[in-house]
Amino acid sequence: MTAQSRQRTPNPHLGAYYGIVASAFICVAILLAMAEQLGWSDGTIARWLILLPLALYLVIAVAARTLDVEDFFASGRRVPQVYNALLLAAITVGGTGFFAYTGAIFFLGFDALAIGLGWTCGLLLAGVLFVPYLRRAGAYTLPAFLGQRFQSRETRIAASALQVMPTALLLAAELSIAATVASIFLPLPYWLAVLMVAAFVAATGILGGMRALTWSGSAEFIGGAIGLAVPLIVVSIMLTNLPAPQFTYGEMFGSLRGAETAAGMSPVESGASEPIMPQIEPMSAAKPFLQSFGTIGESGFFALFLCLALGTAALPSLLSRSGVTFSVADQRRSTAWALLLVALFVITAPSIAAFAKLLMFRDMALAPTEGLPAWLSGLSHAQLVQARDINGDGTIGAGELLITRDGVALTLPTLAGVPYVLTALMAAAGLAIALAAAASHLFTLGASLADDIYSTLEQRPVALPRLMAAWAAIAAVALATAVFLFIAEVDALRTAITAFAFAAATFFPVLLLAIWWPRCTAWGALASLGAGFGVLFLAVTVGALFGVAETVAGTGIVSLIAVVLALGAGVGASLYGPAPTDFETSYYEEMRKPDGETIFDLAQARAAAPAEED
Amino acid sequence: MTAQAAETENPVRDRHQLRTLAVAVTTVSAALCAVAIAIIYAIALNQLWFLHFPLGFYLLAQGLIFFIVFVSFWYVRVQERIDHTRTLNEEIA
Repeated sequence: MTAQSRQRTPNPHLGAYYGIVASAFICVAILLAMAEQLGWSDGTIARWLILLPLALYLVIAVAARTLDVEDFFASGRRVPQVYNALLLAAITVGGTGFFAYTGAIFFLGFDALAIGLGWTCGLLLAGVLFVPYLRRAGAYTLPAFLGQRFQSRETRIAASALQVMPTALLLAAELSIAATVASIFLPLPYWLAVLMVAAFVAATGILGGMRALTWSGSAEFIGGAIGLAVPLIVVSIMLTNLPAPQFTYGEMFGSLRGAETAAGMSPVESGASEPIMPQIEPMSAAKPFLQSFGTIGESGFFALFLCLALGTAALPSLLSRSGVTFSVADQRRSTAWALLLVALFVITAPSIAAFAKLLMFRDMALAPTEGLPAWLSGLSHAQLVQARDINGDGTIGAGELLITRDGVALTLPTLAGVPYVLTALMAAAGLAIALAAAASHLFTLGASLADDIYSTLEQRPVALPRLMAAWAAIAAVALATAVFLFIAEVDALRTAITAFAFAAATFFPVLLLAIWWPRCTAWGALASLGAGFGVLFLAVTVGALFGVAETVAGTGIVSLIAVVLALGAGVGASLYGPAPTDFETSYYEEMRKPDGETIFDLAQARAAAPAEED
Repeated sequence: MTAQAAETENPVRDRHQLRTLAVAVTTVSAALCAVAIAIIYAIALNQLWFLHFPLGFYLLAQGLIFFIVFVSFWYVRVQERIDHTRTLNEEIA
């Protein structure tokens, strides 16, 4: 029997629609820039520039609402490759990359480059090792793929339960970043901002699932890209006369070194007692930008890079988008486009940090003769920078200037003295990227809990239909995360790195074995999942009492050990357990065919056929 | 989909899988080795300057990123050719 393929033609007007979205965003920014010159207050400009695009994203989500299961879970498998790439890039970088990674480069300079390099390499690993095969399989979630690959409910349920840790951590990090930006610029109390962003991402997920995420997220990415590019290009032209900050910030290194020396910054000793990663509280910048391996050794740098690369490659939120394009080849190309977009951000982020650091310390060095810079009062009011002349010498040194790590990107337009609308544009951009990433994490988690655990355990579909279960799970997860953020203060960068470590330890080994080793069995998959997660969980909980995994480099090293142990456990359990069943072997071979109907869709069509005949 | 069919000798399939494995190993190891070498020699490379950047810094901030993007698109192109060859061979067979 041959399964009937659904018509999978993307909307031919998509380019026009998103051209209109981009034009609308730019028009709003230009109108508000004019309004600023006419005397509108900063607060009014920020509110319009943040709330209008948010309303637009919500309208797109409403327009993309669906009650069709394939649309809800896989966006109808007809998303063009570049639009899927926008979402993949937003999920990889997220608000954490936009704000916290930029801040980390500001504080650590060279040493923070491991993070961006890890994300980029991780997308390459995902595109080569996993994504084409997951597209061929076509399962709606990552645990569902493992369950189908090994025909094992236990594996599916275990994988779904274990993906809670990395996905929920990333969700909390993104929501915390989004709420912080909203609370500064709207302005709102933090708890209200958390509720607002949680409700927004829950509404996006509930309305149209993956479909709404795709189309709303594409608009969010476009808004994010414009909002990042415009202020940065303006600052770059002011400082270097060229609109390509990625290639010109190197010219500033001489001035930057001079400003750092004038501020009293000297090379830090490796292994000093300073925290290895900048914390969420405002802190002083102590390390020169270009100093290599000052706060993290070469081995720690490589471990952090590899941990992030493996974590990105096996990130459930990324891989759950592996079934949304038309074909295996499209999905593969889509990942390559996403890699290009992430690469553009990763080579841009150091320029933001370098420009901000140069402007900040250069102006501070002039303070004794020319007085405190004008930007200081505005940034102090927004609680992004605090300066105190502690030693009373009339100057503000590096140690007396406390900077909020996640606010570095937001300080750049103010430091450069450009109109406030560009600061608001940067905030709107970061918020949009954080919301796109948060919505994807929320949907991945909610859909998996509903589809992989509830629907697998609850055999009576009438009790709570499939989509209703997903809606309930998404709403519950959003509420739980919001409550968690009311109680706990989340360090977005540290939380995100821990999440990537968990994704690496838990899912990279099992996916590698499931996709590349025909001998792998359900027992091997379960052993691999359990060993990877268990080792890392013990290290970050019990081990933390003894100084294990205390730093991000330590977490990276432990996660790599967990990956190796999980691979060993998976291989051992597969070899010493029962041989693969006929189904597992044939599924493996089918999955590796480059073309043909999606395995999951074929199985669905076969299951539906007898019912139709009856 | 039967296991018997999967286990049967199939030179087209085996050749496809071997070439796929070779390309995947080449791609992943090229990227990881390049990063490892750049990290090991970063301090030494920082003595040299390229486009106003210390070379070690430049490689980790941009050079390797460009290399990874290039490798990724090269992989897509090669893998599609391998897949196309299998499809053609299966049709001929």
